[in-house]
Amino acid sequence: MLSNETSVALVKGNKSYGQITGELLATVEGKTPLWWFAGMTIGTILLAIGAWAVYMSLAEGLGTWGLTNSVAWGWDIINFVWWIGIGHAGTAFTIFFLVFRQKWAGSINRAAEAMTVFAVVCAAMFPLLHMGRPWLAFYILPYPNTRLLWLNFNSPLFWDVLAITTYLITSIMLWYLGMVPDLATIRQRTKNKVGRFLYGMFSLGWDGSLYTYNRYETLMKLLGGLAAPLVISVHTIVALDFAVSVLPGWHATILPPYFFVGAIFSGFAMVLTLMILFRKAFNLYDYVTEKHLDNIAHVLKYGSLVIGLAYVTELFIAWYSGVEYELHTFFHARASGTFSTAFWIMFAFNAIIPQLFWFRKARQNLVVLFLVSVIINIGMWFERYIILISSLAQDFLPSSWTAYHPTMVDIGIYLGTFGLFTCGMLMFVRYIPIVAVNEVKPISRQGHANEKTTQDHER
Amino acid sequence: MQTKKPRKTMNAKQITAVFRDESVLLTALKKLRENGVNIRDIYGPCANHDLIRNFTRESRLPYLSVLVGLFTVVATFAFIYYVAVIDYPLRYGGKPIFSFPPMVVAMFLLAILVTGGASTFAFLGRTRLFPGKEVSLPGPRTLDDRFYLVLDENFNPGEIKQWLSESGAEEIIENEPSE
Repeated sequence: MLSNETSVALVKGNKSYGQITGELLATVEGKTPLWWFAGMTIGTILLAIGAWAVYMSLAEGLGTWGLTNSVAWGWDIINFVWWIGIGHAGTAFTIFFLVFRQKWAGSINRAAEAMTVFAVVCAAMFPLLHMGRPWLAFYILPYPNTRLLWLNFNSPLFWDVLAITTYLITSIMLWYLGMVPDLATIRQRTKNKVGRFLYGMFSLGWDGSLYTYNRYETLMKLLGGLAAPLVISVHTIVALDFAVSVLPGWHATILPPYFFVGAIFSGFAMVLTLMILFRKAFNLYDYVTEKHLDNIAHVLKYGSLVIGLAYVTELFIAWYSGVEYELHTFFHARASGTFSTAFWIMFAFNAIIPQLFWFRKARQNLVVLFLVSVIINIGMWFERYIILISSLAQDFLPSSWTAYHPTMVDIGIYLGTFGLFTCGMLMFVRYIPIVAVNEVKPISRQGHANEKTTQDHER
Repeated sequence: MQTKKPRKTMNAKQITAVFRDESVLLTALKKLRENGVNIRDIYGPCANHDLIRNFTRESRLPYLSVLVGLFTVVATFAFIYYVAVIDYPLRYGGKPIFSFPPMVVAMFLLAILVTGGASTFAFLGRTRLFPGKEVSLPGPRTLDDRFYLVLDENFNPGEIKQWLSESGAEEIIENEPSE
């Protein structure tokens, strides 16, 4: 699928290790750029809007949301599925790197993992708030209690709690352990007392011993291997939340693989969006090369084909089944009728526009790459909107059909998660090297086998 | 092949050889190994598979992980069986009280969670990494761009130093052990 030939240079410029350390730590050691403060301000404003919306939800109750008797899952679950989908790419990259030995993923997987962690935290906000009384969230854990009740272990909603918790904790372990050697490098170089204390604490006394590296490599491969099935299981279980119900449009065996591909698709699109911004902001052109962006564009191209196939298959099966409810949902609610605009936006944004990436010119044009990556994530939001709202708003009883509109509180919470994500990512890029220094060093020689490092500067 | 990090011998001087390139270090390592020299450790900025393979044996961490994983699978099954079949056999939707397939989901997820956590803590325990640990590095550029091969000066130091410089060590330092 993706080229891994040894002739392709993964890091441009045949750099020495010292140079790599200096260049990659410049993002942490340099002065804070002005745009960072601007980004933080916007993020904080969004976070404040989110805090207001959360306050309203808790103080006034879920009546402040746009939910109705039929549309019991609205913006909250749309956004939950959307964020979880975005959160899939980090682990996917780690698996490419650790399990499939796709060395090119080495310079992206740190940023992708960070994105995963923040996206999953954003996603977890929604079901937590949807409980109405999140301080009683521990009720969903199976423990002996005075209520003399146990959980229903056959419920996908319980599986979802387990799946997301497992995914979040495993992602944090992979992300954090991956950065320990780099934190140690910063600890040795920083002159700031507070910085040395904090980096010293978090680097766990790492000394670069080969014995430690040996065990460390084994552990990372092990965690990568353990996380690999999680990438598939998390979104499969999210899909089961819908698929085990009896609603037309939800009750389909295609849903788990369809959700999984959608998640990888939207996650990779978000990685592309962020990497284009980061490589420009931090001058990482030598580490995140055109080849990296090209590889992600290839993944998106094939992802788009599979997604398109899933859309068409759903329509075909609805027609082929001959069930009038299915026919209504797919042809009268989605493809034509109330939700047709959203449906065709979804279809065009996810299945048609990314086909541009068959052309090399489109893959090499940064503006096209960036726009398409943003378009895909808008399209993926509409996909979740279509799945949820079109099936719920027009259910089996036409007398209870209703229109669904989000309220300001719904929109506020969504904006708040954007604030959380923006602030989290900005804190990450400021205090932790975006590119994994210790992982890039061994792959930096690839493609420069017969050249001598020319710029080995002495300090 | 060395399996364990050798204990520090008291009052022995140390020889530290500094290398810029892993391939040069690998030749030196092989040369020392051929002559039966025990190496205390090698410190460097990144992991090199050839170096690791020539230096020490594979970690036994995966065996522990498999054991923990199997234990978690069995324990989860036992727990859900106790809850759903023995303690609280509630029949909903006409479904059987004991149904194995839905149990697999929790068994699978918990196995991953517990195995991942246990492996991580086993790693941290075995390598003695913890927040606030004192660090003594063999050289200032250890975590930047140089590899340091450290060995105890126990016998034929002259010969060892000659092998090291012949194989391309950038610098050879003789010093008292730091502790």
